[in-house]
This record gives sequence, structure tokens and C-alpha cells, in this order.
Amino acid sequence: MTAADLIFYALAALTLVPALWVVGSPNIVHAGFNLLLTLLGVAGLFAWLGADFLAVAQLMVYIGGVLVLVLFTVMMTRVPQAREADSGAKRAILPGLFALGVLVVLLLVATGTHWGAPALTDAQPTTAEIGANFMTSYIFPFEYVSLVLLAALIGAAILIREPRGTEEDDEAGAAVETAEEEVQS
Amino acid sequence: MELLNLNIPSWSDLAYWRPEAILCGTFLAALLGDLIGRGRRPAISFVISVFGLITAGAYSVAAVLHGGAAHTIMGDLIIVDGMAAFFRLLFILAGLATVLFSWTAEEIMGRKRENKAEFFYLTVLMTAAMMVMAEARDLLMLFLSMEAVGLVSYVMAGYMRTSLRSTEASLKYVIFGAVSSGIMLYGLSLLYGMTGAMTFDGIRAGLLAGEVNGLSLLITVILILAGMSYKIAAVPFHFWCPDVYEGAPTPVAAIFSVGPKAAGFALMIRFFYTTLAAGADPSASAPLIELINWPLLMAVIAAVTMTYGNLVALRQLNVKRMLAYSSISHVGYLLMGFVLLTDAGLAAILFYLAVYTLMNLGAFFVVVALNNHIKSEELDDYAGIGFRAPWLGTMMVIFLASLTGVPPFAGFAGKFYVFTAVMDRQWFWLAILAALNSVVGLYYYFRVVKAMFLTRPAEGADTTPLKIHWLQYTVLAVLAVPTLVLGFWFGPLKVLADQAIGLLSTGM
Repeated sequence: MTAADLIFYALAALTLVPALWVVGSPNIVHAGFNLLLTLLGVAGLFAWLGADFLAVAQLMVYIGGVLVLVLFTVMMTRVPQAREADSGAKRAILPGLFALGVLVVLLLVATGTHWGAPALTDAQPTTAEIGANFMTSYIFPFEYVSLVLLAALIGAAILIREPRGTEEDDEAGAAVETAEEEVQS
Repeated sequence: MELLNLNIPSWSDLAYWRPEAILCGTFLAALLGDLIGRGRRPAISFVISVFGLITAGAYSVAAVLHGGAAHTIMGDLIIVDGMAAFFRLLFILAGLATVLFSWTAEEIMGRKRENKAEFFYLTVLMTAAMMVMAEARDLLMLFLSMEAVGLVSYVMAGYMRTSLRSTEASLKYVIFGAVSSGIMLYGLSLLYGMTGAMTFDGIRAGLLAGEVNGLSLLITVILILAGMSYKIAAVPFHFWCPDVYEGAPTPVAAIFSVGPKAAGFALMIRFFYTTLAAGADPSASAPLIELINWPLLMAVIAAVTMTYGNLVALRQLNVKRMLAYSSISHVGYLLMGFVLLTDAGLAAILFYLAVYTLMNLGAFFVVVALNNHIKSEELDDYAGIGFRAPWLGTMMVIFLASLTGVPPFAGFAGKFYVFTAVMDRQWFWLAILAALNSVVGLYYYFRVVKAMFLTRPAEGADTTPLKIHWLQYTVLAVLAVPTLVLGFWFGPLKVLADQAIGLLSTGM
């Protein structure tokens, strides 16, 4: 086993062990913090594979952005404590078996496939090439994504804007209250 | 760093991409118009959107009349061919009808017309994004275009901000969408790993050249199908469909039930046909299809989808939910055309999709028009509506009869082509099952007709005639007349569909 192998197994463990925690933990805040470690492990795997730009993007977008947002949301909303019945072992049997089946199939695929994609021989910095491609061959998707992001921005504005109607507000408010009562009872 | 072999798109590529470019420009112009009117003049955005859609439609028609070979543009990421031209027309029809009809729909504009105009330009952008879905020839564009349509859809599903049901619909759509996208991405990554190619042609070449493991390819195909089944709402990725259609504003449900579905089918046709079947000997099955037993896989999905949709639709008392399940069963019929990946089957899908767009949009729009007045989509509240709005009722009968697939209507011609496509290759059990399903459909479609025309309204109920806006009547008539005419004069549309698929199979 070479040093590179050791690093790979360490990174894989860093990805997988907290991931199990994310799925199994009844406390959603713990799950969120463990997700941080998992995403860090994935960034490490990218770096290990020589995808330096992806590794940094993973750090900045997922850990710096998405995860912080998730944690804020979790902490700022009232979290109903997980009930015993939901995390009961009985309920985990069928999904667990299903997940095991999926794992077996995916392992069979991973080991049985003849991979045709060229293997990476020596790692080179990728950022410059990615940048050049964005401005040349891939300029179309680059521009297209900007349009999609603009739509997402407008969508976010629509979904959070202050509603103008008054009658409907009351209806919605009443509906929320009844829903809350149902949850409590 | 090597910059010599780059494939840089040139401005001349835009000549083949005018309708999409116009729609993107329309989106930005309508957005700007909304800002200039300070959000208080929805008419500005409405007019710009309608004008843009009509202009784009004119260019699309011109492109069809011009005919012509396939062009790969934008750095070989996009292909504009006969099939893309066919779907352009379909999407513009759906987008334009939805924008026009929504202008007078209370669910969109609010009871006192207090809402802003975002709906119009979001529909325009969605139309453009659906066109890109039908034109993608590369894994990157495949994913991007699906996400673009998805993002716009999520917002539109939650458009009624103050309605809990609408918000719930949006949330369900997002979560299901994220999961299925994730599954599909895994499949795409496996496919790239196997072939080392991103373009559909390159993937086929890679699969044919290399040694392919049957199990790996099967699992890859299933994973990718998962993402696409979500877009078209095929079992077992249909769960979002009834809830989203019921919760979303009805005009939004109308365009959801035809637009993204047709776009999903366009993408599936191009992707699976090009990667698995294209270029094979037409008299026998392609080797890759045999390897993963594709016909059986698709036949089972089609059979389960149509049967499930129909059986659950039987029990629905809400017309919107009923139409949602009926749309699932129509996806089942459409998938029958996929079983063999033959030219005949794919052309039948295109034909059926065009007919389905007309009749399903129509049925949903009648629900919108009624919702403006009776504020309900429950079947019980439809009692006697046929007498209060005779024209509206008549058109609903046309749309529902066509959805059932009764002879003189367009739906029959659509079903006929799909059925013959599978019977040509001896898939009789599938055709028989589909015929049985059509009979089941008869029951629940005509329950609506019965409620509208044969049931007396409750004592003391409002029986005054309904006043329907002229714009709504116009749009409905534009949808109803072809639904009738295409039932016996379907030659031109059939030729168009055949041409579109013919160009796909020859114009690599």
C-alpha cells in the first residue's frame, strides 16, 4: 500500500463515517455538522484526483454556502424533536434492505464495468484550462446558466415577496394555525 | 495550455437559433417592462410576451417550411433539426395559449388583479428552456436544460404565494426534482466513465467500440430513466404529479401537463435513440437494445404507468386531480411508442404529443374558466354547468372525448398510430392492455360530462349563465377546432411527425 492509497482511504473514511451519522442521527443539528465533514471529504477526494478547481469550488459552494445556509435554517426554525416511533428500528428494516440491495448492485456495476474514459496520468493545474473553455467551447452553456440563475433570482423574489391581498392572508394564516394545532395534538 | 482545437461558436450559429434567442430576449424585455411599469402595469409584460412568442412562432414556422438538414451549433452542444423544429412549434403553442389564457385567470392575476406580471415572462423563459431540452445533443446541455425547466417550474408551482396548497406543491416538486436529478447524474457519470464521451453520438460510438457490460449498461439506463421519468411523470416517479397539479394554479398545471412532459419526451427520444438505436439495421433490433432488453423494460413501464394512472383516476372527485392521473395514463400510452425505438414508434409519439397538447391544454383551460366563476374544481360543483355555459361545456366534451380516444376526435388518431407501432412487432399484449385502459378512461372522462350536462344542480343553486371572457373563448376555440379536425384529416400532421423523425434517423 502506497502513501497515495493511504491518503485515499483516509479521505474515504472522512466521507463515509460522518455520512452514516448524517443519516442515522436523530438530531438534525448534529446531522448538519456531520454533513460538513462529509463534504470536506469529498473536496479532499477531488483534490486527490487532481481536480483542484473542483475541490476549491466544493469548499466554497457547498461548505461555505449551502451548508452554512442549511445550518442557519435548521437553527432558526423550530425543529420538532424526532419522535421515538420515527427512529424505531422496525421501520428501518425495509429501507435498510433496499439500500443494501442498491449498494450491491452499484458495487457490481462499479467492478464489472469496462471503463472507457481516459485515466488521468499526471495531475496538472486545471483552473486555467477550465477558464479558457468557459470563454470558448463552452461559452453557450456558460451564458445559458446565467439566464437560468437570473430566473432563479426572480423566482426567489416572487416566493418571498410580501403578499398584497388581504382576504387571502387571513385564510392562509388560519390554515397555518389549524395545521399547527394538528401537529401539536 | 492548448487552445488550437477549441470549438468556438460563431455569431452565425444564431441564424439557426432565432426562435430561442428571440424568446430569451423577450424574457429580458418583459422583465424590464415590468420594472419600468413599477410592477403595476402587467399589461406591458403581457403584450411583450405575446408579441415575442408570436415572432418566435413565425420564425419557427419559417424554419419548418424552409425544411433543411440538421445543424449542430453552439460548439456542437445544440442540434437544430426536424425534430427540434417540430417541438418548437409545440412549445410555442403551449406557451402562447397559456399566456393568453392566464391574462383573465383569477388564480394568476389575483381577484382584484393585484398580482404582478412575473408569470408571463417566466412562461416565456420556460418555453425557451423546453426548446433547448429538445435540442440538446450533449450530456452537459441535457442536464442544464432539464434543470432550467425545473427551476422555472418550481417557482410557477408556488406562484400563489398565499395558498398553502400551492406552496406545498412547489416544495414537493423541488424535493422530488432534486432527488431524481441526483439519481440521473449518477447514471450520466457512469455513462461518461464507460465511454469517455459527452455528446450522444460519441457515447454511441464508445458503447459500440468498447466492451460493454450488460448489467452496467442496464443500471445506467435505469438511473438515467429515473431522472427523465420524473420529468414526464411516469410510474414510479409520478408521486409529485397529482399534488403539484392540484396545488399549483390551474393555468400552471395546464402548461406543466403538456410542456415539460413533451420536452422530456423530446429529450428521451433524442438521447435514447441516438445512444442506443441510431444507425442500426432497421429490420432488426439494435445490438445495444437487445443487450439490456430495452423493449421489455419499456413495455413494463408503459403498462404499469397507464394502468396505474387510469385506475386511480377512477376514484378522483376533484377534476384537477382526475386530469393529473389521466395525464399519467397518457404518458403510459406515449411510452408504448418507445418500446421498439423504431421510426414508426417515435413518429407516433410526436403525433400523439401534438394531439395531447391540444386536448389536455383545452381540458385544463376549461377548468380555469370555470374556476373563475364557481371557485371550485370539485366534480359535485360542476353539476349543471353545461346549461349555464353551453359553449364551454361543448368544448369540454370535445376535449374529454378526444382524451378518451373515441373515433371522430384527434385522440383516436393519436392512439391508433401508437397502437399500430407496437403491433407491427407483435407486442399484442401491450396493445390489448392499452385498449382496455382506454375503456376505463371512458368512465371517468364521461363522469365529468355527465355532471355538466345530466346532473341537476342542487336546489337553490346559482343557475345564471356564466360570462366567459372573449379571449378565453378564442383560445379554447383555437384548441378545440384542431382537436376535431385532426380526427379525420390527420395527414399533414402525420407527415410532419414522420419528417421530424426521418431527419433524426438520417441526419446524424
